[in-house]
Amino acid sequence: MKIIVLLKRVPDTEAKILINQEGTGIRKDGVKFVINTYDEYGIEEGLKLKEKLGGDSKVTVFCLGPEESTEVIRTALAMGADDAVHICDPALESPAPFTTSAVLAKAIKDEGFDIIFCGKQGIDDDTAQVQGGIAEALGIPQVNIASSFELSEDGSRALIGRRIEGGNEKIESALPVIVTCDKGINEPRYASLPGIMKAKKKEIRTRTLADLGFDEMPAAGRSKILKWLPLPKGGECRMVEAEEVSDAVKELARLLREEAKII
Amino acid sequence: MTVEGIVLVVLFAATLVVFGFVVRMLIRTLLLGKPQGGFGDPLRRFWSVIVHVAGQARVLSQPAGLGHFLIFWGFIFITLGTIEHMLGMIIPGFSYTAIFGSAVAGWISLLQDLLALLVLFAIIYSLYRRFIIRPVRLKIDDPAARNEAVFILSLIFILILLMYCIKAIGIVEGTIDESYAPVSRIVSGLFEGRDIDLGLMESVFAWIHHLIIFFFLLYVPFSKHIHILGAIPNIYLRNLGPMGTLSRMDFEDETADKFGNSELRDFTWKQLLDLYACTECGRCQAACPAFLTDKPLSPFRMIHRMRGHLTDERKRLLNSAGDDIEGTPIIPETVTEDEIWACTTCGACMQECPPFIEHVQKIVDLRRYLVMTESRFPSEMQPVFKNMEVNYNPWSMGYSTRADWAEGLDIPLASEKKEFDVLFWVGCSGSFDARGQNISRALSSLLKKAEVDFAILGTEEICCGETARRMGNEYLAQTLIEANIETMKKYSFNRILTFCPHGLNTFRVEYPQFGFERPVIHHSEFLLELVREGRLPAGAVEIKKGAYHDSCYLGRYNDIIDQPRELIKMIDGVSLSEFGRHGKRSFCCGAGGGRMWMEEDIGKRINEERVDESLELGVGDIFTACPFCLTMFEDGLKSRNIENIKVLDIAELMVEAYSAE
Ligand SMILES: Cc1cc2nc3c(=O)[nH]c(=O)nc-3n(C[C@H](O)[C@H](O)[C@H](O)COP(=O)(O)OP(=O)(O)OC[C@H]3O[C@@H](n4cnc5c(N)ncnc54)[C@H](O)[C@@H]3O)c2cc1C
Ligand code: SF4
Ligand code: SF4
Repeated sequence: MKIIVLLKRVPDTEAKILINQEGTGIRKDGVKFVINTYDEYGIEEGLKLKEKLGGDSKVTVFCLGPEESTEVIRTALAMGADDAVHICDPALESPAPFTTSAVLAKAIKDEGFDIIFCGKQGIDDDTAQVQGGIAEALGIPQVNIASSFELSEDGSRALIGRRIEGGNEKIESALPVIVTCDKGINEPRYASLPGIMKAKKKEIRTRTLADLGFDEMPAAGRSKILKWLPLPKGGECRMVEAEEVSDAVKELARLLREEAKII
Repeated sequence: MTVEGIVLVVLFAATLVVFGFVVRMLIRTLLLGKPQGGFGDPLRRFWSVIVHVAGQARVLSQPAGLGHFLIFWGFIFITLGTIEHMLGMIIPGFSYTAIFGSAVAGWISLLQDLLALLVLFAIIYSLYRRFIIRPVRLKIDDPAARNEAVFILSLIFILILLMYCIKAIGIVEGTIDESYAPVSRIVSGLFEGRDIDLGLMESVFAWIHHLIIFFFLLYVPFSKHIHILGAIPNIYLRNLGPMGTLSRMDFEDETADKFGNSELRDFTWKQLLDLYACTECGRCQAACPAFLTDKPLSPFRMIHRMRGHLTDERKRLLNSAGDDIEGTPIIPETVTEDEIWACTTCGACMQECPPFIEHVQKIVDLRRYLVMTESRFPSEMQPVFKNMEVNYNPWSMGYSTRADWAEGLDIPLASEKKEFDVLFWVGCSGSFDARGQNISRALSSLLKKAEVDFAILGTEEICCGETARRMGNEYLAQTLIEANIETMKKYSFNRILTFCPHGLNTFRVEYPQFGFERPVIHHSEFLLELVREGRLPAGAVEIKKGAYHDSCYLGRYNDIIDQPRELIKMIDGVSLSEFGRHGKRSFCCGAGGGRMWMEEDIGKRINEERVDESLELGVGDIFTACPFCLTMFEDGLKSRNIENIKVLDIAELMVEAYSAE
């Protein structure tokens, strides 16, 4: 079985995020990059499936990202993935989700696939758009926010659990399917040292847009990031003080009407 | 030679041959282990054998050790008598009197007579301890351990009774001078004037006695009394360097598929010799914070079980040619995961152990295998490792915020200063933990006041690697250590100052393994130095009563025991009380060995045990010199709902003394 896992390189959750001066992205100095937390669940699920199936099942990592992404790709390989495809092109400096989807979908299609695991969202942009785009482009079903996964006995269908309000939902899907993983679906493993050593020798195939057969930016017109802006500073808090509560209420009403102009 | 003599010689020779084979087998078993060298300095080693074997220094450090001391020396003198008697049977007319003269022989006889009596009492007392008192020290879940001890003690007891009888008969027959055998003389009353064949009786007693001795020789290597063979070489070969220094692993071989120890052959031969050396005295467990708080770990039990495992495995391993046979994993049958994760690496066990067995390295070796090869460890450790990898600290804090505590304090950075006297190593706790940061600020204000030429590394500093190392993640630890060394090498300074005993220990004894050696000083030593030089006044506080708690890595590991106390005593108004367990025998706070980062859900919490001790003794406030001890005390007091007891680092105490002025 050809198992595909997606991996996005994101700033560490503890990193101090500042927007660069031009407003085209975040400042990268002082920021450490890691595997998107939710993608770790996807990787683990892919590895578990491979271990269960045995035979010639194979887990391939797909990552679209800058050159430095090889570091996080190696981590996934150290966890046990077999090889990786790294899509890296200067033109993809900060692609919109549609573009990412289109590029990844093409690369995955070229490679061949039976199932795709990924995270439910990137912990950086939180758009949760890429998976949907890939499913569309490949014409396969997509099950989101999975909390459990197994194959049917005959191995022909996927049985996916989802936590919904007040209960659990079981979804049966045809293969191939793209499954986006939620926290709790598994406990991602810690790469063992022999795993780390082996990962150094595993193959990472680099692909540019041209390699994938794109002569122009795919889905370029569909959406575009115009500018990155910091969150506006939170307003300040003012205490209304008075001897009598009724006076305070009156003063508050006056402030709301005259200064804040909201009533 | 008499027929009796010939039979004795034959039997003795046969016993020796068998014994020789057994010893050869034991040595071959040891050699199943990995090589280990570094046993130079023979003079110090001989001296250590004299102090610890002949003098039984560690054995005698506890009152019950007197029993062992007596049995040890008693047995030696009894053996002198045995040799004389055996030679007498072989060479007609042989006796010490004939050889050394009556004076020397008399003294040997006298000492033998008196010591043997003391040994009898010692044995009765040991049996009393084992059956009636049943101290914590001797508690073990394997009844065979106690039965063996009782069996051996009873044999020695019988040997002594036989010896007295033989000598008593000698007195009656006039071959032994009764004035040098007061106890035997009393016993001789039993035989005086009886109508029995004393000669026959003596020879029956002698034969039983000698056969027991031969039996003993062959039984010892298969019992806990193998320590008679193992302890002496083990003491000679003991670690003369700093305690608990972990071995450096080599990651050069990228094709290796195993790191750390999973089976016996992964240990060095010296580590296997440790197993032969254990006297099963239980001193280690009686000092072990994990054992004393009902965790599954007992260092005594661990060594006992590992030796049992060695006995079970050796035949199979010795018969196999080379490496092609799989060793039985030590975990989980012999030692469980819960056991090895319960260890705080406090070193109390090693501090007590009479034959100098090293438990911590073994525990860490087993951890190394689980962590690095199997990725199997308590789940709460994973984020800790990841945080250390990504943000270079065990807390989940962004690495770029490492120097935030220093904001606005105008603390010089190494990157700006380049050359300075003292590098203030802040450490992870000092950088990220709220109380730790407070100590960092306190100490830097003192340094400024004393006009010390110092600097911090700021965000260039990363975790020192000590915790990762003791948690078994040697690979991660080495990454951190090497990066730190790179950074430190960029600057020129004379010494490293730190208030974290873990950092102190690792810089002192472990960084040199990686080619970086620099004097390291703890803030307790440094502040004392500053006060003594008159660069800092000692100050005064309003009357404060408190006890100083020795951190394991400061007191036990690095012998810094008096300095913090002296410093505290210099502050006017402080009256210093003491914990019962203090100094080298201090009781761990529960945070070491990475335990700070693990759940503690089995048994009583170690920090609560220590807090309870402080409350029972009514020691007052707690003064610490380790940020981890401080946290553990604060947590312990919180869980006991105690609000009126303060926990202060000595630097905070000093700052308080100034502000009170
Ligand atoms: C700071 C920063 C700098 C970047 N610089 C570059 C650059 O120079 N060049 C470049 O080519 N790319 C770069 N990228 C990557 C690119 O911006 C993102 O991949 C894309 O924007 C993902 O969109 P998203 O956040 O909406 O993902 P989401 O839709 O939220 O992600 C959902 C899931 O889709 C999958 N997924 C999303 N993105 C990827 C991906 N890239 N690869 C594999 N699986 C993915 C993951 O499984 C993820 O959990 C950069 C990203 C960041 C954060
Ligand atoms: S180091 Fe401390 S916790 Fe570990 S076994 Fe020894 S005494 Fe027990
Ligand atoms: S390991 Fe040392 S202290 Fe512990 S029982 Fe054995 S000899 Fe005694």
